[in-house]
Order: sequence, then structure tokens, then C-alpha cells
Amino acid sequence: MTEILLVGNPNSGKTTLFNSLTRSNEHVGNWHGVTVDTKAKTFFADGEEYSLVDTPGIYSLCPLSFEEEVAVKTIFESDRKIINICDQNNLQRNLYLTLCLLEKGCDVVLAVNEIDKKPIYKIDYKKLSERLGVFVIGINAEKKIGLDDLKKALKKPKKLSKLPYLKDLDDNLLKGTNLNKDFYNLIKLYERDEKFFLNNGKTEIGTLFNSVPKDSTQHLAKLRFDFIETVLNDCTKRTDKVYGQSKFDKFILNKWLCFPIFLSIMAGIFYLTFFSLGAFLSGILESCLGLFTNSVLGVVEGAIGKTWLYELLSTAVFGGVGTVLSFLPQVVLLFFFLSILEDSGYLSRIAFIFEDILGKIGLSGKSVYTLLMGFGCSTTAIMTARNMDDKNAKIKTAILCPYMSCSAKIPIYTVIGGAFFGASNILVILGLYFLGVVVALAISKLLDVTVLKSKKQSFILEFPPYRMTSPKRVGKILWKNVKEFLIRVGSVMIAMNIIIWVLSSFSFSFSYITDGHGSMLETIGKFITPLFAPLGFNNWAIVASLVAGLVAKEVVVSSIAMFNGIDVGANKLISNSILLSSSLVFFKSKASVLAFLVFCLLYTPCVASISMLLQEIGRKWTTISIVLQLITAYIVALIVYNVAFAFEIFGFVKSFSIVLIVLAFVFAVVFIAKKIKHKKMCGNCQNCTNKSCHKK
Amino acid sequence: MMPLSKCKKNKQYTICRFDNAVDGVLRRFWELGFTVGQKVKIVATSLSKKVFLVQIRGYLLSVRASLLDKVQVKDD
Repeated sequence: MTEILLVGNPNSGKTTLFNSLTRSNEHVGNWHGVTVDTKAKTFFADGEEYSLVDTPGIYSLCPLSFEEEVAVKTIFESDRKIINICDQNNLQRNLYLTLCLLEKGCDVVLAVNEIDKKPIYKIDYKKLSERLGVFVIGINAEKKIGLDDLKKALKKPKKLSKLPYLKDLDDNLLKGTNLNKDFYNLIKLYERDEKFFLNNGKTEIGTLFNSVPKDSTQHLAKLRFDFIETVLNDCTKRTDKVYGQSKFDKFILNKWLCFPIFLSIMAGIFYLTFFSLGAFLSGILESCLGLFTNSVLGVVEGAIGKTWLYELLSTAVFGGVGTVLSFLPQVVLLFFFLSILEDSGYLSRIAFIFEDILGKIGLSGKSVYTLLMGFGCSTTAIMTARNMDDKNAKIKTAILCPYMSCSAKIPIYTVIGGAFFGASNILVILGLYFLGVVVALAISKLLDVTVLKSKKQSFILEFPPYRMTSPKRVGKILWKNVKEFLIRVGSVMIAMNIIIWVLSSFSFSFSYITDGHGSMLETIGKFITPLFAPLGFNNWAIVASLVAGLVAKEVVVSSIAMFNGIDVGANKLISNSILLSSSLVFFKSKASVLAFLVFCLLYTPCVASISMLLQEIGRKWTTISIVLQLITAYIVALIVYNVAFAFEIFGFVKSFSIVLIVLAFVFAVVFIAKKIKHKKMCGNCQNCTNKSCHKK
Repeated sequence: MMPLSKCKKNKQYTICRFDNAVDGVLRRFWELGFTVGQKVKIVATSLSKKVFLVQIRGYLLSVRASLLDKVQVKDD
């Protein structure tokens, strides 16, 4: 089987082409760095089987970030045929990578992705092919246009590439080194590519570059771009349009409008997801589930009577799982809106807007993508932290992901919050999302000033054009998320619910418990419960549901439903708020409900996220992350409980005054501390060039 | 000559030279088309003017001001 690499600039359409050729459904988006690892699948062309390897986006063969290293390493591993995909609208910059590949001697087929009907470049493909010495094929990766021609080109033998500018390189530079006379070594010497020589066993990098002029890298880059310009002048007609420029940006990037626009968009998304549309769709699904459950349970009851097996089915399977299943529309809606954001090109604008704020806490605007993805699923979001340039920033971004409120927590907020706060629950949910972000930013700052000081992030981010999501892609996203949700509910949740049901229905002597007392879960729960008394939920069933939630957050709600003996449906549980507050699982007050929701928001992520953290940041930082989350969840829940409790006891005016006084005191301390620090600075600290200055 | 970060919005400048030694970030600048003699324009700035939107070689890049300090330009 022939292996083919798919290589190109970030956001040029590699994964779209990969999906089209291999009929896959890999994640794509209108953003830099969506693909962070290689993936391979097979496809057939004229009866021959090929293995296509998709790689993360790169600009050259000198990697800067972790995902770029993955791509470059894959290219250097062997001499495989390469499909180099270029964006037709940004051809000048995209061809830079093509030249790098040709210089290395790669067997390249150039696929120019024609996304727009009115492109910036109109290309004479035959001429371009002759000038570069490669096969050039015009394709549309999404609409699958030109793929047959591309497949035919893969079968053709390698052309002889023409790179006349390489004659201008001074090969005498090689003589001053102990490198072999391979011309590619000369190119890498010009690029001063330390990683390349280190990977090839050269350790004395300093002496290696002694004979190389300091501006050699710049010189080579200029030679490449000058050649590209000449080629494009000969082979293309260019319009005056600027790639990524839009009239909308006048408003979206406006310093007074950017934040209100962002907040309005996010508020709109949350409103549609959790209330209006989301609640409507959940209601319909819940009615259907109710009908289905009643008829199935009726048949089961008729067959076996109300035995323990009936109880298991009605409580653990239909009750617990059904409650979570009715949230499917809301989870899918959230992913749907996030994917529209991702495809629209707005994420790059958000990164630009938030770079100022994130830069101050040791992150980069690039973290915005990872953190927003965290609203969908922490597990996938953690992986995208790879597009950070700095190791510490990558670890920090990955650690912050679980603080963002993921979609698995939607049932907890809606059921528990809905039962106690009624119509005001929208404010509680928005508050929880906001709190997650604030705590994440505070943790980032804390890590930045203590153990994970980041290098100044480079933050160079391309602005993609605004694009509409295609209905086909929306369909694929919805199907993918429905499938994943159903698999999770059907596997992990049913298994977990059965375990919890067994633990809550049997004693340690394995006798069946009917009154709910003396079960194994109660005994275990009561052992840990005193720890949570200061947070206001000193009830073993609640603590047990939190422990069960370590497997998957949805299990928290399904176990609470089980403990209450409620059959199915979120609304049923919400309408049973009296039952919820008076039965096994009860909260002392609204303050303790708030503390519980905050604890659920911030405590240790699910098992899948933990395993992803282990893979991405290692055992040490994963352990630190888990401990930090538990401590943070406990402290923040404790504060929220006490403040909310004070509001309940002393009324609004007194409590609000106390909160204001405390905040004023904290601000005064911070202000005085800053003044003292400022006094210690040297006179010219604001603009000084003194390298020994303490600020440097 | 002046650093690109001090330039006026929507006015075209020409890149003259780069300050500082070669590092990964500067190399990335060159790979993205920031070469001597190239025309460049600031299109937008962030609220605190620490991030710039730069137009170069027919496309847009957002870049931190501290990086643009390294790019010396002259007025066209």
C-alpha cells in the first residue's frame, strides 16, 4: 500500500480533502490549528489502495509549536509522496511551504483548493506546473471537484523541480563545517535550523553556525518569496482583494463594540441552547421517552412483576439514563453553535480581541479556541492546547480546560437549578459559566506567577475570511455528537447506574434494601459526608452522586434521579422539586444548592478528560491539576455557600454591604501592594532599556 | 526608520530591517512574508494597542506589539 502525506499551511483545507478522499468525518474548522496530530485512513484510486496521512498545518520545515513538530517529523521520516494543498486565495504565502518541500527533494503534487467562486488569484495551472516542476491540480476539497485528476496525478512519476534561486546560495559555507556535502544541509545551515541538526546528531550548534552570516535565514526567505512573486506574475492574474478582510470587522474589531458584540453572541447561544429552543426540543424528546418507557415497563411488569429486576430497569436504566437522555437536544445545540462559531472565522477575531487580557495572565489569544471548545467537551479541548508555542503555556491551557463548563454539566444545572430556582435559573446558569471562566483566568494567573511562568507568547495568528457553514457539515457535526452522546449514555452511564443501583440497593451482606437505609453506598457516603458539611450539602446521597460523577458528569443527575426513585425525564424531576428537597437527596437551603452547583462546575473532570490530560501533559501535571481542581472547587463552593447563606439570613441590603466592604478591603490591599512595588522600580522603568532592570 | 508597532493605521510602510538575533519567532516572521523591501500596513489595533492587525502580501495577520517592535520600517 502506498503511503501519501497531506501537507499544507494551517487552515488550507487539508482535513477537508482528507475527509473527501477517505470518506471520513474528521473535525475541520475555519481556524489555525484545528488538526494537532497525524491521522491515517485508506482510499482507492483505479483499484490501487493508498494510505493517506493528514498532518497538522505548517508554514515551513522549521517547526515552532508542538503540533508543527509532529508534522515536520512525519515529513522527514521517509520519502513518501506528498499532496501539498494550497489555498487559492492565499497562494503567495502557501507556495513558500511548497518551495521548502521541493528543496528537500520531496515528491510533491500541488493541489490548489479553489474555495471561492470569485478567487483572489486566477491561475494558469499548466504554466504554474511548468515553472515549478510539479503537477498542479485545481480542486475543491469540500465539493469533491478535481479529485479524480488529483488521484491520476498521484500515479505519475516525480517531475524535476525547478528552483533557480538556489544557485544564489554560497556552498562554501558547508566547507567551514564538518557536515557532509549534501545540498540540503546547506539550506538548513542558511535557515539556522537548530532542531534539524540536533535531530541529526549534531551537538555543537554554536560552532556550526559560526561561519554562517547572521542574515542568512532572512536572505533565503527573501530569495524564496522573490521567486514566488516572479512565478505568480507569470502564471496568475491577481485582484486587489485582501485575504481575510471584511467590512464586518469595522464593527467586530471596534474597541467599543467588540466586547458587547461578543457578549451578545454568547448570551444568544446560551439562551437558545438552555431555554427557548433547547427547552422546547428537550420537552418533545422527554414526552417521547416517557411514552416509550411506560409501554416497555408495562410489558416488563406484566412479565416479571415488581421484582428487584423491574426496579433495576425502571430506576437505573430508564430512570437515570432517561433523565440525561432528554438533554440530548441541548448538548447537540451547544455543539452546533460552537461549530458555527468555529467555521465562521470569528474565533480569530475573538483571539485578537482577548489577546490583551490573556497576555496578562500568561496565555495567548490562541488559548481562546481551546477554552471555547471546553464549553463543548473538555476531553477534545485539552488536545487542542498543542497549538501553543510554549510548553508552559500548553500545560497551563490544558489544565484550564476542565474549569470551563462542559456540555456534560448541562443536565446538572438544568435539573438541580431548575428545581430550586425556577425561572431565575437562567441567571444561575449564566453565572456558573461566567464563574468557570473567571476561576480559570485566576488559576492561570496563579500558575503564571508561581510554577508555570510562560515565555512571552509569540501570538502570530492568521485572519481567515468569514465563511458560512455548509448544511452538509452541520449535518455531520450533529450526527457525530448525537452518536457520541448516545454511545456514552448507552455504555458508561448504564454501567455506572447499575453499579450505583446495586450499591444503593444492597447492604454489605448482600441483602436487598427496600427502605433505602443501610446500603453499601450509604455506608461509604456517610464516611466522606462530614467533609462536605461546611459546603451545606452534608447528605450521603449527594456526596455519592459527586463520586459517581467522576466517571462522567451526567451520572450526577442520573444518580440523584435514582436516589429519588424518579422514573424518567428532566421536567418530571424539576416538577418534583418538593420530592427532591424532602426525600433522600435534600439540600438545606438554596445556598447549599448553589454551593453544590459550583462544586460540580469546578471539581475533578471525568475519567476521559483525565486520561487526555495524562497523554498531553504527563502524570505530574495531571496530578497537580486534579488536586488543584478539588481544592479550588472546595474553596469557591465554601465562599459561595457562606455568601449566599448570609444573603438568605441577613437579607439583601446587609449582606450586600458586607460584600462591598470586603471587596473594597481586598482592592485597597492590592492597590497599596502595587504602590509599594512601584516605588521600588528604577526611575525610567516604563521605557528603560537597562537589561538589569528588575522588570526585564 | 521606526518600529512597525509605532506606525499609523491604514498607511503603507516598507520593511527596512529586523532587530534582534535570529530566533524561532523572527524566522516565522520571514516565513510569513516579512522580508526587507516588502510593503506592510497596520489595519487595526486592539483596545490597549498591544495587538495589531497587519496586512502583508495580500493577507492579514494579528501580531503582538512586542514582536512588531523588532520590525523597522520607513514611511512610503
